[in-house]
Amino acid sequence: MTDLSVGPAVSCDAVVTSNEPVSSGLIRLDLELDQSLTFQPGQFAMLNLDGAGSLVFSRPFSIFEGAGRRMSFLYRIVGRGTRAMGNLTAGAIMTFLGPLGRPFPPPETGLPVVLVAGGVGLPPLAAWLARRNDSPEHEIHAFFGARDGADVPWDLLGDRWSVSVDSLRDVPSGRRAWEGLVTDLAAAQGDFRDGRTRMILACGPTPLLKAAARLAEARGWTCWLSLEEHMGCGYGVCKGCVVPVLDPARGPQARRNATCCQEGPVFNAADLAWEHNEHPDLSRADGI
Amino acid sequence: MSLPAWWTIDPNQPFTLGPRLYPGRIWTASGCFAYGLTGHDIKAAGFTSPYQGLGAVVTKTVTPQPRAGNPMPRLAETGLGALNSIGLENVGFEEFLATTLPALEEQGVPTVVSLAATRPGEFGDMAERLHGTAAGFSHWHGVEINLSCPNVAEGGHDFGRDPATVSACVRAARRHLPDRALLAKLTPNVTDIAALATAAAEAGADAVSAINTVIGLEVDLETGRPVLPRRFGGYSGPAIRPIALAKVDEIVTRSGVPVVGVGGIEDYRDALKFFALGAVCIQVGTAQMRDPFAAARISRDLTRG
Repeated sequence: MTDLSVGPAVSCDAVVTSNEPVSSGLIRLDLELDQSLTFQPGQFAMLNLDGAGSLVFSRPFSIFEGAGRRMSFLYRIVGRGTRAMGNLTAGAIMTFLGPLGRPFPPPETGLPVVLVAGGVGLPPLAAWLARRNDSPEHEIHAFFGARDGADVPWDLLGDRWSVSVDSLRDVPSGRRAWEGLVTDLAAAQGDFRDGRTRMILACGPTPLLKAAARLAEARGWTCWLSLEEHMGCGYGVCKGCVVPVLDPARGPQARRNATCCQEGPVFNAADLAWEHNEHPDLSRADGI
Repeated sequence: MSLPAWWTIDPNQPFTLGPRLYPGRIWTASGCFAYGLTGHDIKAAGFTSPYQGLGAVVTKTVTPQPRAGNPMPRLAETGLGALNSIGLENVGFEEFLATTLPALEEQGVPTVVSLAATRPGEFGDMAERLHGTAAGFSHWHGVEINLSCPNVAEGGHDFGRDPATVSACVRAARRHLPDRALLAKLTPNVTDIAALATAAAEAGADAVSAINTVIGLEVDLETGRPVLPRRFGGYSGPAIRPIALAKVDEIVTRSGVPVVGVGGIEDYRDALKFFALGAVCIQVGTAQMRDPFAAARISRDLTRG
């Protein structure tokens, strides 16, 4: 796996400066941290409420934007933790642990890059794309998929992303969206038939990740995926977020557990043991 | 922050437990801080590292053979507690002995080694190997035998519920640990925990750790099925603190065996409650997962200015 040097993680308090919807389903959370830090696109932070309302486990969120003491995230309300976060207003205190995890690799010279983001999977790829603004020599095709026009954070996307939606409902006039799966849009518009090798970076729901991996595998391209798992700690101590990966050192069929928080969340698709959701070693569990 | 008048202990003053001098009374609990080699580089204002002020890291339980652990999902948060069903995923005793323990020694991490096994004799075998390899290590302070991990497949419960079995496991390990403290970590899922503490002490344990997780289950209302694939998990976090305090009190008052208090400790006030009941030291578990500095903060906050 590619190794990228990243700075140390920081545990600190953060003040909410803004917590506002950017589409029908996505909320942008802006924090001001107690201290400055740097991150690499694809890294995440564990966020929690402070004090009496704090959750037993912090929740992992990919970093969307960040500079100095400012750090921004996009999230969707899916459960108890994000519901509580949705009620926070400017001035509220949160706890922050990050940046954590393995980031997306930077582009390789001369290798076109295809970004495929689905819904709340946008932040790490938007962060990756933002880092390339200063280096326009890289050829990058960015694709974003959402449920419908209202679910698309149009203003955040700007003009660098091609958009697909499950339904063309609520697409504003003057905005362009393609109806269908974002991976199909990428395959159709990515102009993949010129024989050139590309690199795919993807983040989104599991079917999207698998489709992106198939796109890449069929062409022999490299594909990096940011996976989402429930996490207990986010820094590698609890083994609550393991992902089965191939273990070629132990043989072609061998599998091992990788922590999504520490060895991921970005994995090379070729390392993932997708078809093995059960852990093969359990068959010889020693009865404890 | 104000400490009560009765609190006269310096948590960073070395203290004796069995045959061993420990550097401090605030420890991390097994399974919640990995092998004590993770997170050293995480920063927080006012701390040199998350290991500052720790009397010991109780390492993640290792078994004679490596274990892949249970299928995902392995965690389920429920209100003020959390269920886990990790399934004792671990690198195995041999790898731990060859690589992990020497690395801990080199890094100077005060270590208590947590062991689990399926037969009492295996505790003896592992203790013998530990002593043979690491007797000269200055940062390896003891062994905690895990008699109570309730979230593994084939009947782990019964192991720690029977005083005779507890006694056999402790005796097997004690024989090979002449100069290290030996602790038995007890399950709360019993009616008479004091009897188990007495059995452990009579077999040679220097102290008992109480409590391990409480057996729990959560149901997914959409599917009508348990959230965890193995149905049951170990319940931990602040929700179990009153249970832990009750069990510690039972052990202290009815058996007199020294107790390492563990269960739902999040801050120095929680820790003080265990010390008030007579615990000799405490372990921080689930809170350490949320905050790598949880134990370090407690150690700092319990130290008079």
